[in-house]
Amino acid sequence: MMEYLELGHIGLIIGFLLILVGFWGVLTQKNIIKIIVGFSILNTGINILMVSLGYVKGKTAPIIDAAVAQGEGHDVSQSIVDPVPQALVLTAIVIGFGITALMLAYAMKLYNAKKTLEINKFNDLKW
Amino acid sequence: MLKNILVALVLSVMAYMFYNAYSSYETRTELTGMSHHFASKGAEEVGAANLVTSIIVTYRGFDTLGEVTILFLTASIISFFLKLKSGDKEKIIRRDTSELLVTASQLLIPIIFMFGIYVFMNGHLTPGGGFQGGAIIATGVALMIMANPNISLNHNVIHWVESISGVSFVIIGVLGIFLAGGFLDNRMFSLGEFGDFFSAGAIPIIYSFVGLKVGAELSNILNKYQKSQKEI
Amino acid sequence: MVNPIYIVAIALGVSFAIGVLNKLGRNFTGSLVLAAVSVMTFISYQWFAAFQFGEQTAKMIYTAGFMPPLSINLLMGHYEAFITLMINVIGLIGGIYMFNSLKKRGYNAQVIYLVLLMGLNVMVMTRDLFNLFVFLEISSIAIAGLILLEKGTRSMGAGFKYILATSIISGFLLLGIIFAYYFTGSLNLDDVVAANLSSIKGGALAAFMIMIAIILEIKPFPANGWGLDVYEGSDVGLSAVISGASATASFFVLYKVMDIAGVEWNYYISIIGAITFVGSNLLGIAQKNTRRMLGYSSIGQLGLLMMILGFRDILGEQTPYIAFGILISHYFAKAGLFWLSGIVKSKSLKGWSNIRKKPFFLFLMGTFIFALIGFPPFPSFFAKWTLVMELVQTGNMTWVIAILFGSMMEAVYLFRWFGYAIKGENEHLEDFKIKIHKITPVWIAAIGLYVIGYFTAQFTEVGAAINFIPLAFVGLLLAIDFLPVMIKNTIAITGMALHFYFVYPELEGDTLRLIFEGIFMVGGILALIAGYAYKGKRSGFYPVAILMYAGLTAIIEAGTTLEFFYGWELMTAGSYFLIIRGKRSMSHGLSYMLFSIGGAYALLAAFGMAHVGQDSFAMDILNTITYIPTWAYGLLIVGFLTKTAAVGLHIWLPGAHGEAESDVSPMVSAILLKAGVFGIVLTLIGMGAENNQYSELAYALGWLGAITALVGNLMAIFQEDAKRLLAYSSIGQLGYIVLGLAMMTHLGWLGGFSYVINHFLYKAVLFMTIGAVVMRVGTHNMYEMGGLIKRMPLAFLAVMIGIIALSGVPPLSGFAGKWLFYNAILDKGWYFQGAVMFFSGGLAFLYLWRLIHTVFLGQLKDNHRNVKEISIWFLIPIYTLIAGLMVFAAKPQWVLQPMGDMIAQFFPTGQLVWDGGTAISQYGYWAGSLVGVTIGASFVFVLFWLLVSTRKAHKVKQFDITYSGERPERPETTHVAYNVFEGFYQAMWIATIPMVETFWNRVTEVLHETAEFTRKIYSGNGQAYMLHIVFFILVTYLVIIGG
Repeated sequence: MMEYLELGHIGLIIGFLLILVGFWGVLTQKNIIKIIVGFSILNTGINILMVSLGYVKGKTAPIIDAAVAQGEGHDVSQSIVDPVPQALVLTAIVIGFGITALMLAYAMKLYNAKKTLEINKFNDLKW
Repeated sequence: MLKNILVALVLSVMAYMFYNAYSSYETRTELTGMSHHFASKGAEEVGAANLVTSIIVTYRGFDTLGEVTILFLTASIISFFLKLKSGDKEKIIRRDTSELLVTASQLLIPIIFMFGIYVFMNGHLTPGGGFQGGAIIATGVALMIMANPNISLNHNVIHWVESISGVSFVIIGVLGIFLAGGFLDNRMFSLGEFGDFFSAGAIPIIYSFVGLKVGAELSNILNKYQKSQKEI
Repeated sequence: MVNPIYIVAIALGVSFAIGVLNKLGRNFTGSLVLAAVSVMTFISYQWFAAFQFGEQTAKMIYTAGFMPPLSINLLMGHYEAFITLMINVIGLIGGIYMFNSLKKRGYNAQVIYLVLLMGLNVMVMTRDLFNLFVFLEISSIAIAGLILLEKGTRSMGAGFKYILATSIISGFLLLGIIFAYYFTGSLNLDDVVAANLSSIKGGALAAFMIMIAIILEIKPFPANGWGLDVYEGSDVGLSAVISGASATASFFVLYKVMDIAGVEWNYYISIIGAITFVGSNLLGIAQKNTRRMLGYSSIGQLGLLMMILGFRDILGEQTPYIAFGILISHYFAKAGLFWLSGIVKSKSLKGWSNIRKKPFFLFLMGTFIFALIGFPPFPSFFAKWTLVMELVQTGNMTWVIAILFGSMMEAVYLFRWFGYAIKGENEHLEDFKIKIHKITPVWIAAIGLYVIGYFTAQFTEVGAAINFIPLAFVGLLLAIDFLPVMIKNTIAITGMALHFYFVYPELEGDTLRLIFEGIFMVGGILALIAGYAYKGKRSGFYPVAILMYAGLTAIIEAGTTLEFFYGWELMTAGSYFLIIRGKRSMSHGLSYMLFSIGGAYALLAAFGMAHVGQDSFAMDILNTITYIPTWAYGLLIVGFLTKTAAVGLHIWLPGAHGEAESDVSPMVSAILLKAGVFGIVLTLIGMGAENNQYSELAYALGWLGAITALVGNLMAIFQEDAKRLLAYSSIGQLGYIVLGLAMMTHLGWLGGFSYVINHFLYKAVLFMTIGAVVMRVGTHNMYEMGGLIKRMPLAFLAVMIGIIALSGVPPLSGFAGKWLFYNAILDKGWYFQGAVMFFSGGLAFLYLWRLIHTVFLGQLKDNHRNVKEISIWFLIPIYTLIAGLMVFAAKPQWVLQPMGDMIAQFFPTGQLVWDGGTAISQYGYWAGSLVGVTIGASFVFVLFWLLVSTRKAHKVKQFDITYSGERPERPETTHVAYNVFEGFYQAMWIATIPMVETFWNRVTEVLHETAEFTRKIYSGNGQAYMLHIVFFILVTYLVIIGG
């Protein structure tokens, strides 16, 4: 049994939990706004997961400054966490933002069209 | 009811799947593969102190171009989706704004803008960058709108900023093919002294354009949302 | 070579710049977008041409001046060049089509369209997983935006559901990518593949999540409600782009990433593909909305492509060829149909009847539908052929069945729709306008299909052997369709005569083929002569008639099974169009088509089996089938029996032949049915004479023939419709032929063959004469005719001779057939079958008597007092054929002797012995001319005696009888021949219950009900769709990764 949970594990657990919560929201809530909130939670979960997977035990942020000891012959790679997931997560956040904005615009128009935000009212196309 | 059971079932299988993923995870103890290369050679190759920035703008600059495109797309879609009908322009929103907000906004907005610009111009040195800076600028715009719901933002300015910065981004990318190793290579300009403001080749320039573009796109989106409100 | 990165640079540069340039107006921005797409198209074309025609090798494009995996790289290879070319071409012509609808929604919409295409291009080229994710998102978001081109809640709902669904999918994709990175330390596709994820603990899950997300992008059944809604709800131009460009890109992405999962995924992909293909096409049956139906079809086709991808280890180097053929056909055909649906505007299938107000639209629509189903000369035909050949070769019959079943379902709804378009009620429907920028893309798609189909054939050795000249002739006739009948008929006849002239030397010495070629060509020319009787343009008749003959002659000339199948399909297509020209023939045309396609698929599977273990496709591989041969021969027989209308597969025939036009009935009855006979002959030759291995098969076939003869003749006697009577009679006659051939003896075959020729002669005479009479009197119902002998003596004489020949009484040639037949039956010892035949022969007298009596004898109807003799253009071929009958009757040895020599190759024992004009069998002898003279003399004597003895009899005029002042409610009941066999019916009704029809109706119902029930899962609720997706993922997870 582990004595304590490391940062990476904690991040992973939180990430997965948030994803599950997000899915729960997305699959059960009738209100479109709540569904959108569910997606935001889901995305946040994925983002946390991404960063956690880039975590390296006991290392610091991937910016080469005083905190990361510099000097001749010093290998920066010994002192920082993986920068790649951090770069990816930024992209993921922006994409998530774009989609959320689009969903909200849709929500606005859908509400204007039928004066309701119940998702099951928008089933004109089916079968 | 049936649906709830189904959802519960689905979520438990998903939890099981995630549990399997979790159990195959071990905390990493060192950098391997390409991340090791970034960490050990990144500063030398690209010249940016912020390794995340060097990845975003140079190594994976193509992704960033896509990212900017997504924001641009979203803004475009929202523009034509929430297109104003004739008569919408005359609508006046009578929502009370607090005195506090109005006063504070006058004080804060220039600072927020400046801070945003600072963040994207120093993206290669410190945490932050074009997206963050652009987002900060957009918060300034959000504040402006909240303080004065009937404000009419200047479309032309937004569009010009958006358009010019976008095109410049692409042009710099193409210049990379001719002046350096490939599309979006930042080494078309001298890398400069590591850690200086004028360093890391084209990164500060690209990031500035990204920042401007993101700021403009987000402002544009906010503006559209604002304009298409129905309450009068 | 232009660096492909410029595809991105130009698209984005233009898009960003339009933010400022939009001041110059929407026409300008729209043109700018199209110009950008043109440049993109040029870039990908340039690469494609370099790969295809030059020595170019695949080129990596590195960004940022670093090598992967540090940076993102793109690959421009042969496939990438081709796929991006496809995307950009449809982007360009689709952009022209959508020019106005994009313009209406402003420059933003134009920009989104451009970005969509750019995103798809990068999806295809990128070799970086995360980059793939980013550009996949770009395309998804762009589509979500463009859905809004169509205004209204429906499209908004569709768009929102689309975003919900793609968000879930991309969530899983992102999870998969990040875990793949965690395990392999790289995002580069090739690195991830090299790291072999499935061998790493937890890596299989990462691979799973990536794979399932990409598969979901292709909209697998049943987690695809969101995709269907988009196809239905969005602007048609967009649907075309989604179907042609987006689906193509997704498919290619699947191809690209499937290496990161283990080889066992091939199998899973095939399964998912098969479920999608069969499921979507089954549900398509229940659709009444055109666009949604097209959506089902699109998804189905992508399922088929997924199957092919999954089979790539089995198919080996043929995979690209097969995938290409299916993909390109779907690409052009579906886009074309979507574009058409935007012009026709009608949302319901039935509303498409107004399409025939513009006849060339039917040509376009037909092209697309036939291309989708896989008819020649379209690429899908060659692809499906190769696919089935390879799958059977490797023992994958189950997959073949799934593919053919799914294709069959697709044919059901597509042809039903086509039937509405050709024949549906269209009086009340509004006309539609055609805009040049909307119709041009459709034409490009259609022409593209023909051109690419031709080149697809040239790719393979067997395909290159196909003779495309007859098809070009069809094209010529289509081009001159505006000319009057006179000219077109002459050209058609000349063409056929020339063809026969050139083919004849090749066939000389091959009596078997010569007989059939003679029936097809000479019969065809004679039937065409009757066409001179028609006035006006007779729009669309000649191309399809010649199409049928082109198919028929291709069957005869076929050197390979592929050529045979090619001809078979052309013939099916041509005859379908001929049949459906009749007035009330819509449903019959459909059932004809479905039985034909079902039969063709049986043939396809059988040809595949015949190819097992053989290097060649030559026709003689049918003689040496080693792979489950009983099944293979059984399938061949079933396939051919659909064309001869054996009982059980016959329900299409009476309507199809009965409702056809006057000169079409003889074509499809006297001539076309012989194609099925020819096939059966080939099959039986393949099974071999002395081979007892298949005697059960032949025995069953014999009984089937006997029962068919009985049922056909029995049904014929209860018909009130003259043409249906003849149609049922054909069923019966074909039963005789099948029985004769099934005996597998010399005499049996001789009898069968003499029936082949006889049936051709007299059925052509009868159908042409009755058809010509129908043209004059305007009704098919015999009780509405009568006494026509006075107005049409020549027609009467022709029918008289025809029925004498048919009934098999001496002196005419029918007797030869009968005589040979009973000899053969005695020889073979099939007494029970013989009894059935004898009984059917008796029935034939009943309906033949009725035909001549009701139509020509009795009282002339009042409204027929002034009808004229049938047209001279009918009389010419009719009397030519009668001359043939007479020759056969007088000099049977001229025909039977060479036929016997030919049959002796296969059945050397039990030949007839000829002594001059006298044939001698072990049971007796028959001297054709002697019998003729004797009977002829007795007949003349009786006639003379009758004329003399009835000289003084009082002639009863029509008005001698009255109804005592009553007006009968049902005037037909006063006609002596109406329901004349009532008493007989009382005895025989049990045999006339349309059991077969009921059976097939029940099959249709079950399919419909299944489809109707299953499609209810697409409740229209976005949340339910998301649940489907998650459910699909988790079920697949449990199945693949397991507990």
